Amino acid sequence: MRAPRFLLAIPAWAWLAAFFVLPVATVVYFSFGYKPGIFGTHATDVLSLDRYREALSPTFFTTFTNTLRVGVLGTLLCLVIGIPMAYWMAVKVSPGKRAFLLALVIVPFWTNFLVRTIGWQVILAPEGWLSGMLQALGLRENPLAILYTRSAVLLGVVYNYLPLMILPLFVAFDRVGPAMREASKDLGANRWRTFTRVTLPMARPGIIAGILLVFIPLMGDYITATVLGGARGNMVGQLVASQFQAAQNWALGSAMAVLLIIVIAVTVLVGAAIAYVVTWPLSRARRLRLADLEGLPEKVR
Amino acid sequence: MGERRTVTDYLLYAWGALVFAFLFLPILVIMVYSFNEGRLLVSFTEFGFGSFRAIVDRPAVRSAVMVSIQTGAIAAVFATLLGTLAGVAMARRPGKWVLWFVGLLLLVSVTPEIVDAVALLPWLVFLGQDLGLSMFDNGVVRLVVGHSLFSTAVVSYIVRARLVGLDAQLEEASADLYASPLTTFRRVTLPLAMPAVLAGGLLAFTLSLDNTIISAFVQVSGTTPWPVYVLSALRSGLRPEIAAVSTLMLLLTLVSLMLVWLVLRRAGDSSTQIARTMTGT
Amino acid sequence: MSHPRRSRPVRVLAHASVAPRIMAEFNRRQFLSVAAALGGVGLLSACGGDGDGNGATPGADATGRATGGELESQLSIYTWGDYDSPDVLERFTEELGPEIRLDSFNSNEEMIAKLVAARGTSGYDIVVPTGQFIPQMVENDLLEPLNKDLIPNLEHMDEAFLSMAWDPENQWSICKAWGTTGFVYDNTVITRELKTWNDFLDAAQNEASGRTSVLDDPAELTGLYFWANGIDWTTEDEGDLQAAEDFLVGELAPHIAAFDSYPGGSAIPQGTHALMQVWNGDARIGIMESPDPDRWTWVLGAPVTQLWMDNWCIAKGAPNIEAAHAFINFVLAPEQVIDQVDYIGYHTGAKDVESMAEEAGLEMLDLVFFTPEQIETMKEGEVNSAQQRIVDIWNKMKAAAGA
Repeated sequence: MRAPRFLLAIPAWAWLAAFFVLPVATVVYFSFGYKPGIFGTHATDVLSLDRYREALSPTFFTTFTNTLRVGVLGTLLCLVIGIPMAYWMAVKVSPGKRAFLLALVIVPFWTNFLVRTIGWQVILAPEGWLSGMLQALGLRENPLAILYTRSAVLLGVVYNYLPLMILPLFVAFDRVGPAMREASKDLGANRWRTFTRVTLPMARPGIIAGILLVFIPLMGDYITATVLGGARGNMVGQLVASQFQAAQNWALGSAMAVLLIIVIAVTVLVGAAIAYVVTWPLSRARRLRLADLEGLPEKVR
Repeated sequence: MGERRTVTDYLLYAWGALVFAFLFLPILVIMVYSFNEGRLLVSFTEFGFGSFRAIVDRPAVRSAVMVSIQTGAIAAVFATLLGTLAGVAMARRPGKWVLWFVGLLLLVSVTPEIVDAVALLPWLVFLGQDLGLSMFDNGVVRLVVGHSLFSTAVVSYIVRARLVGLDAQLEEASADLYASPLTTFRRVTLPLAMPAVLAGGLLAFTLSLDNTIISAFVQVSGTTPWPVYVLSALRSGLRPEIAAVSTLMLLLTLVSLMLVWLVLRRAGDSSTQIARTMTGT
Repeated sequence: MSHPRRSRPVRVLAHASVAPRIMAEFNRRQFLSVAAALGGVGLLSACGGDGDGNGATPGADATGRATGGELESQLSIYTWGDYDSPDVLERFTEELGPEIRLDSFNSNEEMIAKLVAARGTSGYDIVVPTGQFIPQMVENDLLEPLNKDLIPNLEHMDEAFLSMAWDPENQWSICKAWGTTGFVYDNTVITRELKTWNDFLDAAQNEASGRTSVLDDPAELTGLYFWANGIDWTTEDEGDLQAAEDFLVGELAPHIAAFDSYPGGSAIPQGTHALMQVWNGDARIGIMESPDPDRWTWVLGAPVTQLWMDNWCIAKGAPNIEAAHAFINFVLAPEQVIDQVDYIGYHTGAKDVESMAEEAGLEMLDLVFFTPEQIETMKEGEVNSAQQRIVDIWNKMKAAAGA
């Protein structure tokens, strides 16, 4: 191949470089500056790391802990809900219907975000029809009190990020293909074994894509968590936004944004390390068993 | 391979139905509330069709909807194009560069939208005014630029996940049969990646329709997109026409999707055939 | 391999039954390629399309100031969403000619950032900032001075709403709508009578704990403390600010359920909270549309509260400056005022509106029109050096409330 390996990625690279890297780098540059008086937003004639010192406040840490909790729980819930759903769509449904169901998953999200949220507010209203119905049926004694609690935060987050989890998962499970699963069954594995030993590992890139596509934007998001959860949905992104908007202090805002990005990157790396460490004994165990059973030397495999 | 349905199968079907119910519940509520003729969206006072007239009576609303749909379609095509190429490259030509590129994509995903918005606005003004590239003074172009950033990252990631580990044998076979790299790409790689491309395209369109913060900052006079209008109208108490217009937009986009489907069918394929191509089986 | 594919027939060896499908396949591919080409043309035309869109400025003189000349054909207004009666806008176009184009923004800072970045080329004619941001806009040269000769309908404005602190001569702005802050409580949950901000704070920590919402704005939050304690809410004194922080973050935050600037649109009709800090027009809509209006009691913030005002201003470099002046003059006329008040639910600062409103049968007028004594208690806000500090307090309060 004479062409460079990344040839096809050049258009995307160029586009992102021109419209993301360059402008955002400029804003990051502001983080070394300061806010010049009441009406200015940023100035960079005097550079320092003072904004970073300001950004590392106790508020930041408290808010970050809450953000992390929402991020991890939200992603896990999306995963738990998404895996059976995507598996069903990719494996159990007849091929003719799959594309249709795929589109159907995404159709609700063509309604504006705020409008969807209002839909949920109407459903969960303590004095709304659902609350009344549940009370009438005797399933609840008091009016529905989900709104403005931690549960509501998770509900809002999961609802709005589910497609970002389901779509990559669907694509991943679909990739495994019926042939592999049949082969596995022919070799004597039961359904559960096939799922855990063949389907799931082969779908791993998609699962990782889903986790990253949900967790990472969620950590930077601040609106989704507050729409149903109110004060309980306080996220770090709100700190960043407040500096750019209410305080008109772009220098501090950029410093906070950089800090947010670094902290999320570290979190993802730590998460990956934990996942690696946790799954390492599992893969080892499998190999040893095979070697025992077959009596073949390791090298052959 | 028998067609016996086991308990697990029934459970999975039930789960699928439940999840769809979950996804559509608020949408159905909004559709019902489109027929509210009261003052406030959330307060159902009288039943009627009056709210649907907003899209006819109010030019601001009409313009916002048209801008959003137009921008969504263009941004989706764009992001899908760039993202597919990038995803294919990451899967088929891995190397050290992939690490950097994935890093860039994750950076794009994690940057809070407000940072993107504040960065993009002066940059676009610079390109449009100082450099004289008048294309960047156009509202739709600016919106497309803003919307395509995150969407490109999403699409490339999904396409990569699809192709990675899918044996490159088919492509090698194609090359062995004297197909040019371009032909191999068109005839083998692309169909293999098709479900991911479509899923990515749908997501890109959806993300564009909802993009608020970047849109608010980069829009120009005459191209206020729908989400910016809705958020702005919150201050005055949302009227039921917002629900009515949302319902109409939903139907509009559904109809467009179905038209594409119908046209493809008309060209001769059965729906199973189309789905097979689309899902790469 | 560069064989030109189209000039050679493609030979396919296949079963007869699949032949039609293969033919269809080729037809479909052709269709798709044509469609893609059309789509590409569409994309290009969108790109090459109009980027300017506004008329020239026939009437302006050399300095760009309006001289009362011929009106242009367009008018671009950058304002809050759904903030003008559609009837009034239509009437303007019918009677005077220019087509109106409305664009929306979500916050004053966003609007200012856009105008600053555009450096006079934003394309907007009229902008509608909130009063305390006007000094900043003037300093950054974002506004065009008004030619008051072209706005004779100023005589219909109530003197109390002209000459505000941010623009004493009305050189840059004229009142569009003004409002104030108070609170609403559910009188079935809070059975005693609440009258002042101190009552609000007390109830928030007792009966309404966990069911209280406050406005999602830093100044309104610190204002809450200052108004209750007789301190000027535009204070820049560190001692005052620290006291506000200690109270808001330490004592009030754990009782707050939500930071919501628009409870009238959802929380009041749905009865989600028991005690809400709210603007008057928002409260009015919420109570009027509630299934049980008698349950809600509105209280104007006492002993002191704020007066906020949205203003008509003209952006620097406005392409249609004659039309802009004509519009501002048009909308201040008494015939249009009552429609505006009815539509947006706020006082537009005009004279004698109250009697007109009564005749027109508008409800709950005590939430729109206030007595001169009440207006005396409403203080204007200011963007000053304390801004960063109050944003920090706001963030800390949110963190404490969410913990």
